[in-house]
Amino acid sequence: MHSVSHYGPALSVKFLDRFVYAGYGPFLHVYEYATGKLANKCLIFNKNKVHGVRIGDNGLILCYGSRSVNLTSIQDVHEKSSIVESEKHTSEWIISGEFNSDCSQFYLLTCYDRVLTCDLECHVVKKSAVYGERSILYSGSIKVVSEDKVFINAGTVMGGIIVWELFSETLVANLLGHSGSIFYVEMNRDGSLIASCSDDRSVRLWDLKSQKELSVGWAHTARIWHLLFYNNDTRLISVSEDCTCRVWDIQSGKLLQSAIHEVHLTKNVWCVDVNEKDQLAITSGNDGRLRLISLTEQESLQRNFTIKQISDDSKVPFAKQEIIKGFHWFSFGLVAITSEGKILQYGNQWKFLMQNPQFKSYSMTNGISKDNIVIFSNNKCNLLILKFNSEGSEIVASRELHVDTLTKSQNCMVCRHHDRNEFFVTLESPNPHDPFMCLKFDTDSLNLRGQFGLKKPESFASSCLEIYESFLLVGSRFSVIAIFDLNNTSQESLVSRRLTPGDTTTSIHLVEFSIGGPVFVVTNRDGYYNFIRLKLGNPIEELEIIHSNRTARGFLEGAYYDNNGDLITYGFKSELFYIYNETQCYEKAVRVCGGAHRQWELARTPEGFMLVFIRASDLHFTRVIEPKVPEVLQCGTHGREIRDIALLKDFKYKNGHLFCTASEDTTIKLCHVHESTGQVTTFWTLRKHVSGLQRCKFLSSKLMISSSAREELFLWELTTDCNTKPYIKFRQALPISGNNPDLRITDFSVKFEGSNFILAAVYSDSAVKLWRYNHLQNRFQLAVEGHYKTCCILNASLFEFKNQSYLMLSATDGHLSLYNLTNTMNGGTVCPLPSVESSIQIHQSSIKAMNISVDDQNDAVRVYTGGDDNALAICAFHWESQTKRLLPHLKDVQRSAASSTITSSELINDDKQLVTASVDQIVRIWDTENDKLVLQEQKYTTVADTGSLDAVSNLLLIGGVGLSVWKTEHH
Amino acid sequence: MGKSSKDKRDLYYRKAKEQGYRARSAFKLLQLNEEFHFLDDPNLKRVVDLCAAPGSWSQVLSRKLFDKDDYTDRQIVAVDLQAMMPIDHVTTLQADITHPRTLHQILELFGNHRADFVCSDGAPDVTGLHDLDEYVQQQLIMSALQLTVCILKRGGTFVAKIFRGRDIDLIYAQLGYLFDQVTCAKPRSSRGSSLEAFVVCQGYNPPEGWQPSLDTNSSVVEFFQDCPVGSNENRTIAPFMACGSLESFDSDATYHVEPSATSLDPVQGPTNPPYKRALELKRSGRLTRAV
Repeated sequence: MHSVSHYGPALSVKFLDRFVYAGYGPFLHVYEYATGKLANKCLIFNKNKVHGVRIGDNGLILCYGSRSVNLTSIQDVHEKSSIVESEKHTSEWIISGEFNSDCSQFYLLTCYDRVLTCDLECHVVKKSAVYGERSILYSGSIKVVSEDKVFINAGTVMGGIIVWELFSETLVANLLGHSGSIFYVEMNRDGSLIASCSDDRSVRLWDLKSQKELSVGWAHTARIWHLLFYNNDTRLISVSEDCTCRVWDIQSGKLLQSAIHEVHLTKNVWCVDVNEKDQLAITSGNDGRLRLISLTEQESLQRNFTIKQISDDSKVPFAKQEIIKGFHWFSFGLVAITSEGKILQYGNQWKFLMQNPQFKSYSMTNGISKDNIVIFSNNKCNLLILKFNSEGSEIVASRELHVDTLTKSQNCMVCRHHDRNEFFVTLESPNPHDPFMCLKFDTDSLNLRGQFGLKKPESFASSCLEIYESFLLVGSRFSVIAIFDLNNTSQESLVSRRLTPGDTTTSIHLVEFSIGGPVFVVTNRDGYYNFIRLKLGNPIEELEIIHSNRTARGFLEGAYYDNNGDLITYGFKSELFYIYNETQCYEKAVRVCGGAHRQWELARTPEGFMLVFIRASDLHFTRVIEPKVPEVLQCGTHGREIRDIALLKDFKYKNGHLFCTASEDTTIKLCHVHESTGQVTTFWTLRKHVSGLQRCKFLSSKLMISSSAREELFLWELTTDCNTKPYIKFRQALPISGNNPDLRITDFSVKFEGSNFILAAVYSDSAVKLWRYNHLQNRFQLAVEGHYKTCCILNASLFEFKNQSYLMLSATDGHLSLYNLTNTMNGGTVCPLPSVESSIQIHQSSIKAMNISVDDQNDAVRVYTGGDDNALAICAFHWESQTKRLLPHLKDVQRSAASSTITSSELINDDKQLVTASVDQIVRIWDTENDKLVLQEQKYTTVADTGSLDAVSNLLLIGGVGLSVWKTEHH
Repeated sequence: MGKSSKDKRDLYYRKAKEQGYRARSAFKLLQLNEEFHFLDDPNLKRVVDLCAAPGSWSQVLSRKLFDKDDYTDRQIVAVDLQAMMPIDHVTTLQADITHPRTLHQILELFGNHRADFVCSDGAPDVTGLHDLDEYVQQQLIMSALQLTVCILKRGGTFVAKIFRGRDIDLIYAQLGYLFDQVTCAKPRSSRGSSLEAFVVCQGYNPPEGWQPSLDTNSSVVEFFQDCPVGSNENRTIAPFMACGSLESFDSDATYHVEPSATSLDPVQGPTNPPYKRALELKRSGRLTRAV
């Protein structure tokens, strides 16, 4: 076995010149941060993770972690794939390390508050400590102020911060004020200030000379793990368990929070470093992500105008109570209309263009940025269309129009054709008998090219628009979409209702073409989004949902694919406007705007975005600049434990395999692993579950099931025939029996009958339920119900043997139990679970891992089990032809197959070998021939809380806190 | 989650409240004893509970050792850095287990007799860094062991909480040098999904001529350096023992408590966490995303 790739906790990051050095598990990753290119991956330690990185002026790099230390040249970490041969060990945990003032030695601070002074051969030349002081530390730092002044800042468990002087070994200060363990302590350049954080979740600033607490910063909502002074000690940056990175201004000894960045997935940001020259910060987290953020001031990107300023600037008097009613942003600036029908333009300053009394009091503003066209409408079916030249200096065309087929107009929407120089304006009347009007214009001349009176579906209130060829897609309130064919207006529209739980459809946007038809992303204010595919015909045959998901929180207003094919979403959450990379799950930008209920527009600009909004009748402009550097250097995976991995083994997808990971963080990720590089790409993070996942499995090339607490079991359907990426949608949920939040569906197994299947689900309250799933009706129906005992069932497997149907269970009682279900499922009634046909205790406690191999030729079913009791066993159920029963025989058991719980196993190489994962972080391959377990190979994995694995051909995926891809050699 | 939903989820939690234990962990010691019977020994006289707060193990020790009130030669000492509410028949010491002073205080209380049994259910703040958490837990065990070897009689028993992580086999090997029998025991009241287990070390049998002594200036590693315990990189796997009968409650299972079942108040009120003020600020909406 050998490792090909790994994603997991990154505990340390450091900038130097053009590079970022990141401690990534036992590796050091070197990235060129301007391009995001991974320059090298160098193995530093055999087992331990790299907790800290220090770079000396002498071209040496010091890595430490746990009880390991490795000193090497920067050149080595750029060029070599491994430097483990120079790894050294200390007897105590290393809390921190630092080079001395001339880089001729380095210091290591251990968890017992001792400093080891080492020469560059890594020999300890001196041990220093303060007499009588032996507290255990969770944190600490070494500050080399000058060649004769070195401070040790020790963060203790119970006794606050202890500052001592290295050379004199004397106590300088004991700073008391925090509650709980100190999790980080940092000193500024000249050793006058100390910043610290603790279990109490505050950041504190101390003056060393007076030993006084200068300021307490409350802001983080969970523990803080790392702090750093920067910009000449005028700023402090902190990272936390709450997934954020925060910037603090230090003004006359006071801490003032000045920026918040949500940077990682649940949970824990471990480390931060700052590049002052480029004003960049890099953060590393438990999710294995490396995130680059800009620390540049945002104030310069913001402008706001009061009504009075606009009036003064444009030199037109405004009426009392006159307000801005609408606006549209163009590359040349803004065009806006007031409640008196004054049309104004803003470039570098405000300019009055015209006044049109028809658009007094009620008006709507739409625009087409590409063609510099603005469209004003009122409630009396009037339209005013203006076209500007590209500099915005001139109106090159204008058109006024009254639509007399409507009695009134309450909503107006505009959409440009993707291929033709046409744009469409829709007008909707509050009168349900009026048609839904659509007008087609030429983008150059603004000439009316066509007028369509469309039949309005019931309970319809238009809210967004998209045009594809001759099809007009109209989103509505109540989560409704209507599709009209403008070439065939007599045809009824195709209406799709309740795509999502049901609020206003906020956007429909064409994203790609597939063999099955064009694909659109549809967003809803309720936070849900769908990808729909149109099966085109005359009439349109079908609207197929191929993907369904919901955003993390808040109102969802729109979505699109960026140049990398990542889905970008935007909308509001509480007081904020956000732009989010949904594919990689990170915030691109947030701006405080006051919430969703306001006039606003987000425009894409060459440099990024322009957000324009009204707050308390002031007009605000906020530019969001797309960073010049990549937003992430490494994407990572879940921030919490991966509880299960399911590889789709039926077919290959783009030089590798698709797989799902189910995590304690309540999400499922749909990913791809490249078969030769092991590179993992995440496509989707599914947020349907509300509790930590238990299991996920593919049933076929199209179907997947996941299960968790609250009796959640969801059936998912995969679509893999689109060009950009696979899509996955929620298909059905298993009915639940009550509202016990702890009731977990711990495992399930499926047996197909054509396109329908039988599902066996097992529960933490010992319930066993069999369900029939009808594909056409998309319905689960309970068929068999019963209880095993009262203990928690952990594994279930349905299998056929000698034309009989069986269910094998394993539970926390250490037993394997077999049910014969052959004659149990009949008719439409719910049958009781039959009694156990045979049962055997194999383990002392929980059987965590179970694999079954049916050997029809030799009349046996083999069950491989791994348990909490460290044991691994083979049990064969033999067919007794006289009694026609399967009876168990324990074939082999290795009582100490691991030094801790065996959590997962898989049969590989045609069931000739078994691979196991256990919490001792060792993956073992066992030969199983002749029903004997013989250990073939074992290898340490850096994935802690090792809880899941899956294998396909020679690829092995190992999950826990992180995800590793290994290759096995065929024997 | 409210009081009653926790009752529903966790029968041991409910049972602890019913029986007046301060924490559900009381059942872990009781179930360990069901298998090892170390508390049923009539000769058990002097017992030490380290990292004892809030005191549920001391409560078990008190009830077991003083099942009849007339024992005059039995003594229980409970030590913790935190203050503890008094427990019948238990002398509580608010002290640091790594400090020599604590050792002398205990021996003084025992009239300079050695202890028969030492236990520790202590666990550190868990950070989420698995390697660090497991290391700190090992240091806690070794600190408890330091004190233990200074006060335990030959043939005595030591029980401590462990996390069964990546280097647990090192600890087993180290303890194997000091005790005749080392077992990894998992009570059924300890969740299967947790790394927690207990090491039960029986038959204290230190190397001949080794004179351990506590010194504030030496670390745990230095303490054990003259004994083969500290330095060795040997690994062994201690035999596993599930404790508590299969008929006892399964801590991984979900039980359905009748809705009519009354919810009970906890025996001891909630503790004062270090992040209390941060919680108050969060609840009052003062920790928000808007700067």
